[in-house]
This record gives sequence, structure tokens and C-alpha cells, in this order.
Amino acid sequence: MLPFLKIMVKNLLAGPSTDPFPFAPAHTPKRFRGRACHDKEKCILCGICRHVCAAGAIQLRVTEDGMAVHWVLWHNSCVFCGLCAHHCPTKALTMSDDWHMTHRGEERFDQREVSFVPYGQCSQCGARIHPRPESVVQQLGSRYPERFMMCPVCKRQELARRVTPAKPSITTGESDERDSA
Amino acid sequence: MSETYTLPVGPLHVALEEPMYFDVRVEGETVRSVELSAGHVHRGMEALAMNRNWLQNITLTERVCSLCSNSHPTTYCMAVENLAGVVVPERAEYLRVIADEVKRIASHLFNVGIMAHLVGFDSLFMHAMEIREIMQDLKEGVYGNRMNLGALAIGGCRYDLDEETTAFMRAKLRELDPLLTELTRVYATDPLILKRTRGIGVLPMEEARRYEVVGPVARASGIAYDVRRKAPYAVYPHLDFEVQTDTAGDVHSRAMLRLREAAQSAVILEQCLENIPEGPICLPGAVFIPEGEAVARSEAPRGEVFYYVRSDGSDSPQRLKWRVPTYMNWEALQVMMAGCQVADIPLIVNSIDPCISCTER
Ligand code: SF4
Ligand code: SF4
Repeated sequence: MLPFLKIMVKNLLAGPSTDPFPFAPAHTPKRFRGRACHDKEKCILCGICRHVCAAGAIQLRVTEDGMAVHWVLWHNSCVFCGLCAHHCPTKALTMSDDWHMTHRGEERFDQREVSFVPYGQCSQCGARIHPRPESVVQQLGSRYPERFMMCPVCKRQELARRVTPAKPSITTGESDERDSA
Repeated sequence: MSETYTLPVGPLHVALEEPMYFDVRVEGETVRSVELSAGHVHRGMEALAMNRNWLQNITLTERVCSLCSNSHPTTYCMAVENLAGVVVPERAEYLRVIADEVKRIASHLFNVGIMAHLVGFDSLFMHAMEIREIMQDLKEGVYGNRMNLGALAIGGCRYDLDEETTAFMRAKLRELDPLLTELTRVYATDPLILKRTRGIGVLPMEEARRYEVVGPVARASGIAYDVRRKAPYAVYPHLDFEVQTDTAGDVHSRAMLRLREAAQSAVILEQCLENIPEGPICLPGAVFIPEGEAVARSEAPRGEVFYYVRSDGSDSPQRLKWRVPTYMNWEALQVMMAGCQVADIPLIVNSIDPCISCTER
């Protein structure tokens, strides 16, 4: 016991080293991985978050009319790995530093993050496309904003129009030879 | 006159932290032989892994065990990267080593703390745990969680160190250093600890070789086997540290070895923080995982972790198999326990730092 006596006295004098929570706020570091937050203004419904979630905490359900998606994250299933936030391409999903997860048994089905994310519309034909929120357009689609809002079919047609010269030139083996000569 | 009888210990028992079943044959107070039977907490994780995709398995393997929760995804990612034939950026290699060593210090301190508790020296146990708390705070501040760091991604790391976190880490290491030295001195000299742990659970070198034990158990018996040196991975070849060994092979030497290793880990951390290069922390985009098979191994706090992956080119592994250090170590308990006192059983079991949850996954 003797070598330890000095340490013990020192520890006794220093008093408790635990946080007095809930009577005082507990220290929470900035990087703490607490409950996940979803910003529907940034979500493009790519589904990557659901793809990487090992806990199966994220569900994407298309509404009956097919015009929007219910994006749901169940906090009670989530294991706070942060993989979804890491892979979310638009950073719509982030881990907050909120670790207050206590709730009563009857509230267990309310422990979720729900977003209602409407699909977008193709600016040409009006077909359903994945949402193109303003922030994403600014980030990724600022060079060709109008093309960014198109469905894949219209985008292909638009691109094809752009790369095809106005007067199609006829290329034959002969003309090639003449060109290079 | 003494009589031999069989004493069943476990699977749920006050002296055991995790479920394990021992059939101990005792004569008076002396243990004559031990038979182990495992399999009480089987979780079917290898089957689960086949139902999850490559990325989800990072989270899954991290939850195999809480104390080596960084070694499992690191080794898993290394195996997958070997299969895909990609090289992770150097900064990511450093970040992986940092995460691994932080976990090692915390794990070793936990084990020596529990030893003090089993000796009955609870104030020392509390003190060791309080020192460990420095590392827990470090994990919480840098990684965002006190146990599962979530530091890994296939092709690199998910966290980065900036000025602020590096300074925070350095401050925590400075705080740890004198306390760890002091704690080591207490463990080395305290009469109660010495009395209860010296010459107990001895595993001689030949027996250690015969049972092929790994990690601190092997090193305390004089076998200088450390994967970080024998099959260097990440940036370990560039780091300057000493593989700790001892020859006594008893409970006390294993605890002292862990304390010395924790000090070495702190040295490694300092070097990493000093030398970490600038650059990307992860490969851009998703890593394509082709058909084939690969292995990887690393040194977890308890010893060598070994991963095998097989892929058929699809989104999830066809087979994921891992071998954990406890599997090699617990058979040697039969040697360590023979001839010991009944009261020493928990101490000896704890001294191999068993992790039943990862062995039975
Ligand atoms: S939250 Fe992020 S990852 Fe998930 S669907 Fe929306 S944009 Fe994609
Ligand atoms: S933090 Fe992990 S477990 Fe939670 S929702 Fe995201 S991926 Fe799923």
C-alpha cells in the first residue's frame, strides 16, 4: 500500500474528477459524434447514406404519388458511426454534438429524423428527376445551370446537339487522305 | 488427506467479466487441471459480414470488440486494400497508426486497472482508470467517441488532425506521461500487488512456443514477437520504438509489460505527431474491389489480428474471416492455471487480457 499512499492522499485532496452532470453541463467536444441531422435543402436523394449504413437506420420511402421521398433515420437503430455523414456527397447529413438521447419508452417511435424531400422536375420535359437543391446547383451546376436541371434523356439530346456541327461534314477515306496530305 | 473434485466456474460467474466456462479440478485449494469450453456469446458476425457490403463492414468490424475496436477495421481495410491493390496516402497511414496507438494505451491501462481490482486494491484500480480517462478524453475530443473511433475508411482515414487537435493531443500526452511513470512505479513496488501476482500463472517460454501464444502473453514469456516489427505495416518501419519483452512470464510481468508498452505507444504517438506529412487523408472516390482473396494482419493490444477476405467481385464479401489473439492465448491457460490457487483464477484469466466477445464474435 505504501507507494500508493501519497497518490491516494493527493487524489482525496483533489476531490471528485467526474462531471457533476445533470446539475451542471457536461463538457462536449466539438467533434463529438452525436445524433445525426439531416438538411433536406441539400439532399439529392442519392441513397448513399442508406447504402453505407450497417445498422439499417436509414430508410428512403417514395410517397404514394411518386413525387417525393420520406427520408427517415431512426436514432434508436443508429450506432453513431458517422459513415453516412462521411459519404454524403452534399453534406446534407451531419453528425451533431447532441448526445441527449434519453426518452420515455412510449416515445421510442418518435426518435427519428424525418425529412420530406420532393423530387425535382426536368426543365425541358417535366419528367421526374432527382432533386437539385439550390445549394447543390451553386456548388456543382454553376457552369451549365440549365443543363443541370434536365433529366438524363434531355441532357443527352442537349449534349448531342452541342457536339454535332451545324453542317454535317461527310468523311470518307479519300477526303481523309487529302486532309493529311 | 486431500480429495480431488471438479469446480465449475462460469459461464456466468462473479469472478468472470465475460461468459466462459471452466471445469476446474481442484485438490484442496490447488488447481490440478482446467478444461475450457467456449461458445456462450456467439454472435454470428462472420455471417452478418457476408450480408453487408464492403463499406458497411467497416462499421460492423469496428463493433467486434470495444477495446481493440480500431484494430479490427484497420486490419479489415488493409485486407480489402491488399485485394484491390491500392496504396493509401502516407498521411492516412500515419493517422491509422495514431488511432491504433491511442487505443493501445487505453486498452493496456484498462487491463492493469482490472488486475488491481481483482487483487482487491480498488483505490489503485480507480486511479488507473482515471489515468485511462485522459486517453478517453483524447478519443472523444479528436475522434468524437470514447470507444468506437470511426477513424477508418477503405482507402484511408475519415478524420484529420488540424493544429487544434494536434495541440490537444500533445497536451494530453504530456499530462499522461508523469502519471504513467508514477503508476508503473506503484505496480513495480507495491507489496500487495507483488505478493498476489508474482510467480503466479507462469507460462515458460517452451510452453508459450508450444501453444503459439501472441501479444503481451508471448512477449512476457520471452518471445519478442510483435507484428509491428515482424511484418511491418503502415508506417511502423519508419518509427523508432522498442519491442518490450520479459522472461518471468507470470501475471506481474504481463502487467508490467503492458505498462511499458503503453509508454512506448506514447513515444510512437509523439513521433507520429512530429513527422506526419501533409497530403490527402483518403483516396478519392470509391475503391473498386475485384474478384480474389487477400489477407492482412496487425498488432492489436492483445496480439496479432488476422483477416482474410474473399470477393467474387460483387458489392459484399463472399467470405470474411478473422482470427483474434485470445483464441491463441486461452488454451495456454491450462498451463498457467495448473498448480495455482483457486483464488488466483480470475487474476490469471485477466492476465491474458481475454476478449471473449471478439473470439466468439
Ligand atoms: S442525405 Fe446525403 S447521402 Fe443521403 S440521400 Fe441525401 S444527399 Fe444522398
Ligand atoms: S451514423 Fe452510422 S449507423 Fe447512424 S445512420 Fe449514419 S451510417 Fe447509419
